[in-house]
Amino acid sequence: MSLEKYESVIGLEVHAQLMTQSKMFCRCPNQFGSSPNTNVCPVCTGQPGSLPVINKKAIELGVRAAVALSCEIHPESVFARKNYFYPDLPKGYQISQYERPYSTQGHIVVRLKSGDEKRIGITRIHFEEDAGKSNHESYGTLVNLNRAGVPLIEIVSEPDMRNAHEAGQYLRALHSILRYADICDGNMEEGNFRCDANISVRLRGTEKFGTKVELKNINSFKFVEKAIEYEIQRQVFAIESGEKIIQQTRSWNSGKNVTEVMREKEQAHDYRYFPEPDLPKLMISSKWFEQIKKEMPELPKEACERFKKAFELSDYDASVLTSSKELAKYFEAVVAHCKNGKASANWVMNELLGRLNAAGREIGDTPVSETQLAALIKKIDSGEISGKIAKTVFEEMFATSKDASSIIKDKGLVQISDPAALESVVRKIIEGNPSQFAEYKAGKVKLLGFFVGQAMKETKGQANPALLNELVKKLLDS
Amino acid sequence: MLSREEVLKIAKLARLTLTEDEIAFYQKQLTRVLGHIQDLNQVQTSKEAFVQHVPNDAESFREDRAAPFANPEGLMRNAPAVENDSFLLPTIVEHS
Repeated sequence: MSLEKYESVIGLEVHAQLMTQSKMFCRCPNQFGSSPNTNVCPVCTGQPGSLPVINKKAIELGVRAAVALSCEIHPESVFARKNYFYPDLPKGYQISQYERPYSTQGHIVVRLKSGDEKRIGITRIHFEEDAGKSNHESYGTLVNLNRAGVPLIEIVSEPDMRNAHEAGQYLRALHSILRYADICDGNMEEGNFRCDANISVRLRGTEKFGTKVELKNINSFKFVEKAIEYEIQRQVFAIESGEKIIQQTRSWNSGKNVTEVMREKEQAHDYRYFPEPDLPKLMISSKWFEQIKKEMPELPKEACERFKKAFELSDYDASVLTSSKELAKYFEAVVAHCKNGKASANWVMNELLGRLNAAGREIGDTPVSETQLAALIKKIDSGEISGKIAKTVFEEMFATSKDASSIIKDKGLVQISDPAALESVVRKIIEGNPSQFAEYKAGKVKLLGFFVGQAMKETKGQANPALLNELVKKLLDS
Repeated sequence: MLSREEVLKIAKLARLTLTEDEIAFYQKQLTRVLGHIQDLNQVQTSKEAFVQHVPNDAESFREDRAAPFANPEGLMRNAPAVENDSFLLPTIVEHS
């Protein structure tokens, strides 16, 4: 297959639920996991005569998102009815925004694995309400309306991405920003951050877009990347074998690692949008806007700059440590306890993240708490254990969640800093290696390392390295 | 006069299957309805006429406080069928 001849064009649509107490247009709790149909009322079940009232906080969070994504905010925007027929949409229409969204024209800068940065445009953000949830059983369809009316923003990107990696990085960056600014929980499994991808391919060098295929509701970053990669290959293969790409909606089957047809997208999707007559125009005054801007929480980019300055970290280290809000908080707590920024960065990035990644776990379920890791770093700084022993201790901490001090005690791993004890070890090593000693004396001074190594081995790595070095040199030269 | 194909397209969107007689009937009836809309089109309005009845300075927001509705069970009682605290519907199959 000649994939190189082709270029793919990818745009993403993200639906993010807003972290409010109540729903978008009624006072029902916005809460995941309640018993079915308990967070429902006449408004969100579409009873005749009920009227929507806009949740102020939802608008504030939406504006926050627009600020964080460098978007333009429109002081006047209009809610619209999107009409379609589906049982989890009790009113027969979804309140959304159409011709006049509250925000347009933003961007995110993402970092690629090549080290380059890429700016990805955001076309628009608009408010809408979530639909209910349908569960399809053998005997029928069960509809739960707890989610109906939960506030959402839909963030539509420009078709700026050219491969699965770029799409993945865009999503990660967007997710991180929404989490940092307390806009969206970002729990993809619970569906409060959902992604649809539009993908087409075209011959490199051509301008015209190919026919696009929509991938619906993919619930992890990994799956998004895999699904896009698969879809690009599928489309190229189809074109190369003389087929025509059909405009359709497909879903990702994570068991089989393939995309499958959900439905053909035809002209039947006529949503008959019109302005929502039950709601006034959405007015965002400049005073309100300034207020929201003033209360903006720290964003990943700002956290990164702060980390660089406060903890003297490199650009790369700071960007890794601020890649998620949870990780940044964890790191800051470690530093707060041990007061050693550089060491904290090394331990979190190399030891902790390395092991978490290998185990496929997130920082949220780390077996080593912030205070536990800080205590370990303090023991290195005070000379109680060596850095090398600390790695063994950490391995045990990661496996068992035990404190460093109890592992050190149980395994007798305390660093030997007693000169008398070390001296006797060194003497033993020198006596046991007379020929090396003779060579050293004859001028082969680099054998110093050999004696240090042997003595370290003898103490199972527990000797205080600086002291040991000094003693070996002293005894060899005496 | 609306064409037969236009009536069939609208029927598809409404998930309706029509008999030949009904197709002919709706060709006439829908043409009359649309004719009425044509009449309405003569009224001078802007696109936003729908929301013009609300003054721009209306206090249109609600504070974000949750207050569960007292009678969700009552809403469920409107449903023709309920199973596992959910509205039970005939199996939904996506049309292609």
